[in-house]
Amino acid sequence: MSDHTEPANDPVDSYLAALRKQLAGLPADEVDEILQELRGHIVERAAGSGSEQNRLPVERVLRELGTPEEIGSLYRADALVARARAGFSPALIIRATNRWATRTVLGFLAFLTGVMGYAVGCAFIACAVLKPFFPTHIGLWINSHNVLLGAAPRPHGPELLGWWIIPYGLAVGSAFILGVTVFLRWMLRFIPRASQRVPFLA
Amino acid sequence: MTESGLENWEAQIRKGWLDVAILATLWKGRLYGLEILRELESRSDLVITEGTVYPLLTRLRKDGLIEGKWEESDSGHPRRYYKLSAAGRSRAQALARHSHDFLSKIDALIQPLLKEQMR
Repeated sequence: MSDHTEPANDPVDSYLAALRKQLAGLPADEVDEILQELRGHIVERAAGSGSEQNRLPVERVLRELGTPEEIGSLYRADALVARARAGFSPALIIRATNRWATRTVLGFLAFLTGVMGYAVGCAFIACAVLKPFFPTHIGLWINSHNVLLGAAPRPHGPELLGWWIIPYGLAVGSAFILGVTVFLRWMLRFIPRASQRVPFLA
Repeated sequence: MTESGLENWEAQIRKGWLDVAILATLWKGRLYGLEILRELESRSDLVITEGTVYPLLTRLRKDGLIEGKWEESDSGHPRRYYKLSAAGRSRAQALARHSHDFLSKIDALIQPLLKEQMR
């Protein structure tokens, strides 16, 4: 397709080049199709439906289309959610949830659950990994006041797990991370997609 | 309500209705992007920024509700024609039923206000 990088004097080319930049990170064939479809729209909208009075100046067609930033961000946000839902990457999932958190209470709660769940999971794994290096300072203590995991300096009270904290920490930490990931992937189906938001232009 | 408050409210309403409106335009047969836009523009007040319809079409396609097919055209540019999938047809009907119930109730609720205004 012909939308690659030609330096643009033509307003349509420069519009589409700007949009291509906005779409960086999406699969190349998808970007080509998006640009192809929008080029068709612009050309045909400008030409009108055959008759002279329906013809529109290209600048006006582009203005009515919205800015490349506006359209690009809609495609990008939807693509982020789609990729997060398709895979098991905690990083992608937390990014998608983070966007959602700024928009609705449900999103905020999902994000909070995610951050706390991942933090607890990482804490368990960190304990398992650090136990051989700080054997007296890493452990699970329970005394009359509280439950302490991996505390330094060493608190009072009996230490419960000893070296067993390594397998337990790895197992419980992984289970937490996997559980939160599965939960958030499931939650992401309730996200209101970016493309549903139609910005109001006064 | 201030002027901008009213606009915000309208924008929220539009956002919620676009899905069902797009599926409805495809009910009788396949259309390409610009035809869908023309339908929406002539029969509703839903579209403000034309370009936002295209990401929405992409999402509906990825959700399996519509199918897209490129075809050559006499305009000199290929067009992507969209049609409802089987899942899209049943979703469109379900959304139409819900919309209709919802709107009738709201309509009944606001009728007294409109009558008051006419006096």
